[in-house]
Amino acid sequence: MTRGIAALLAFALAQGTASGNGGFRDVTRDAGVTFVHHAAPEKKFIVESMSGGVALFDYDNDGRLDIYFVDSLTVDTAGDPKQARSALYRNLGGFKFVDVTDKAGVGHPGWGMGVCTADVDADGWEDLYVTGLGGNALYRNNHDGTFSNVTERAGVTGGGWSAGCGFADYDRDGDLDLFVSRYVKVDLKQLPQFGRDKTCQYRGVPVQCGPRGLEGESDFLFRNEGNMRFTAVAAQAGVADPSGSFGLGVGWFDYNEDGWPDLFVANDSGANFLYLNQKNGTFKDVAFPMGVAVSQDGAEQGSMGVAVADFDNSGHFGILATNFSEEYNSLHRNEGQHFTDVSFKAKIGAISLPFVGWGTAFFDYDNDGFLDLIAVNGHVYPQLDKVKLGASAGYRQRKLLHHNRGDGTFEEVAAKFGDTMIEERVSRGLAIGDLDDDGRLDIVTNDLDGAPQIIRNEIADAGNWLLVRLKGRGVNTGAIGAVVTARAGSLVQKRLVQSGSSYISQEDKRLHFGLGKAEQVDSLEVLWPDGTTTAMKNVKVNQRIEIPQPQ
Amino acid sequence: MRTAARVLALLLMLGVAAQADALRQAQGKQQASRATVLQRAQQELTSGRRVEAKRLLADAADRFRSVQALLLLSRVQSEDGDAAGALESLRKARRLAPNSEEVLSAFAQMSLAAGAPVPAVVTLDALKRMSPSVMQYHYLLGVALMRVGDRLNAVGALQAAEQLEPNRALTLLALGIAHNSLQQYAEAKSVLSRAVELDRGNADTLAALAEAEQGLGELEAASKHVQQVLAGAPQHATANLVAGLVAMDRSQYAEARAALERAVQTDPLLFKAHYQLSLACGRLGDEVAASRYLEQYGQTLRGVQKMIDELRMATGPMGTDSVRR
Repeated sequence: MTRGIAALLAFALAQGTASGNGGFRDVTRDAGVTFVHHAAPEKKFIVESMSGGVALFDYDNDGRLDIYFVDSLTVDTAGDPKQARSALYRNLGGFKFVDVTDKAGVGHPGWGMGVCTADVDADGWEDLYVTGLGGNALYRNNHDGTFSNVTERAGVTGGGWSAGCGFADYDRDGDLDLFVSRYVKVDLKQLPQFGRDKTCQYRGVPVQCGPRGLEGESDFLFRNEGNMRFTAVAAQAGVADPSGSFGLGVGWFDYNEDGWPDLFVANDSGANFLYLNQKNGTFKDVAFPMGVAVSQDGAEQGSMGVAVADFDNSGHFGILATNFSEEYNSLHRNEGQHFTDVSFKAKIGAISLPFVGWGTAFFDYDNDGFLDLIAVNGHVYPQLDKVKLGASAGYRQRKLLHHNRGDGTFEEVAAKFGDTMIEERVSRGLAIGDLDDDGRLDIVTNDLDGAPQIIRNEIADAGNWLLVRLKGRGVNTGAIGAVVTARAGSLVQKRLVQSGSSYISQEDKRLHFGLGKAEQVDSLEVLWPDGTTTAMKNVKVNQRIEIPQPQ
Repeated sequence: MRTAARVLALLLMLGVAAQADALRQAQGKQQASRATVLQRAQQELTSGRRVEAKRLLADAADRFRSVQALLLLSRVQSEDGDAAGALESLRKARRLAPNSEEVLSAFAQMSLAAGAPVPAVVTLDALKRMSPSVMQYHYLLGVALMRVGDRLNAVGALQAAEQLEPNRALTLLALGIAHNSLQQYAEAKSVLSRAVELDRGNADTLAALAEAEQGLGELEAASKHVQQVLAGAPQHATANLVAGLVAMDRSQYAEARAALERAVQTDPLLFKAHYQLSLACGRLGDEVAASRYLEQYGQTLRGVQKMIDELRMATGPMGTDSVRR
């Protein structure tokens, strides 16, 4: 009998390992998340295949990360905005969530795309910005579990088809400005006919038209004038993209470490932008000379998502862009003076070729001190399953999880974590954050035309960790743009506070450090957005700390 | 001729013996005179009088509606460098014998040689269906698909050719180049290593292998193979491109610039080299040259894309790679 129980227990443990014990578990249903994203099943129009983002942010300041999913309409339901209902889920702790959308007033009826968050009005509470087709929305946090739509008053409606967004203090006047990328021009009354000619075919099968062959849209930069009012300054700042590239993912970061935020924009079917901040309110696109505009063979790629991180612990922030199928996900190492495409050397290039990549993030899932990489995938053509695939994956595609080996290379390990990571889905948005504050980073996705995924990190032998929340002084209370350097033995890691990243999504703004076996962080240094620094010594591991910027 | 044969058969069937006999005699005379003309054309060719040979063949083609004459004429025109004339002769032959495998095969090969891959793709796709076990059709289809930018289907066609006739160096080279173009460097290295074993002296194969090795980060091996190629062919475009890429990887920007400049001199359409050249010049601090090469890269890229787009628009289902690219 005892032997039987032991055998059963061994079996159960083995099952657990196979399905991701010591790994990842899909807890969406148990967590109480019932959100379903809407899109037309056949995706006959490009506007039906690009949504939506997901945000992880603590809207009620209870210390727990909440989740916001963006929903969209279809061409058929476009006349009835209420057919789309974005959703806010409050984190109750213990991986339980409750839908508070209606009370919060952020259902965002209309055609939603992406999302980013920041404390725009400097009141210590996170506000919410949602992009979409036909106008964006800024929801101001009322501190009582509700939000007010202040878009028009703030002057950040935008219009057209907006996609990515991100806040940063580009002019270093202390407050947060906003960049919004836009995709293609869409007139719902005059949509290009599905499969109309060879530009709307894929390997002989009729598919949606675009983006090639359609007109692209310019981008927005809104300068914060204070008192929740913004002015559109993209043209004078040199980031308007008058040629109308197909803008999607956005990443603000100071690539040349001169103290001024620069901006990377992922463009579909065209060259990406890397805007160098010229410290005078204007930017200059240096993507080509810096080596991040196109693939290493000079081909324009269909870039969607962006992740920015010091992935090689070099002290410099590199860039990962997810791309269309038959184009590798491009990993650019920051050499200080320029970037080098190390996608193939790092062993993430070849394996990504069959996939259409979207949400992406660097995160240290096993807390070994080296940033790993995730990319979620899914094609844009459901019709793909009817054609010969060649080297491409089908419409539904699995995730890519790359483990950082610490020697400049990655190993793709999704299959080691069982069904949760290799289930084929049509994912778009992705955000990483520690949903249960246990020091292990969890994963949230928003899938096109389906249910999202809340993936709990249950790695049993993860290393030590530290979770750092910054509290900025002045109006940038979330310290967006701050960089924290942690030293623990020979490990030196850098993290960045970002608004807007991945594919049109928002990650946890708290900074997570995996520390392996290190028993303390020898030193922790914060470089605040205004250039001041804060240093700490001998910080205990396995804790959450808050660092306020000295007044 | 086929019409005459059908009339003859019909007359025999109807029992109109006299008329049938007369027609048979006329047909025999025609065949004899056609054979004579073809024989004379052959003699003129042997004697080096190619103009006269072509005149006779054209005459035979017109007078006797001779497919054989047209095939021979196209061959001679092709040898004389008259690709357009050769293609026109084969088009006439296709009209006379639309289902002749010999004619279709010649037409496809001539289209490819004349830089017209679209008709080659369409014809070879038909030939491949007619005779699926003929390796040559799969191989040529793969080559033609590469020319129209449909790299994915090219790999499929070349893999089929390799299955039908394994270890053929030319097929392996084409397959390796196709894999390289898709950045499938591990697959490219595998087939190109075999190709090198089969044909050690082939500079193109060695250069393509070096490209795969560079893509995989195997810089020592890539460098060694590149040097082997450049020792015999200092201007080899692919070898110089790879030499430049290896130097870029090693942060040896002056060496990279020199090699990449040689690459674009040999192959001005190599936009990858133009792009890397702009990066090399930028990293050397030569902003003027960097801008110039960037501009040239843009022009080359747009030119190549326009050409591929036009080719894709012109092809049928076989030539439609991702429209987003």
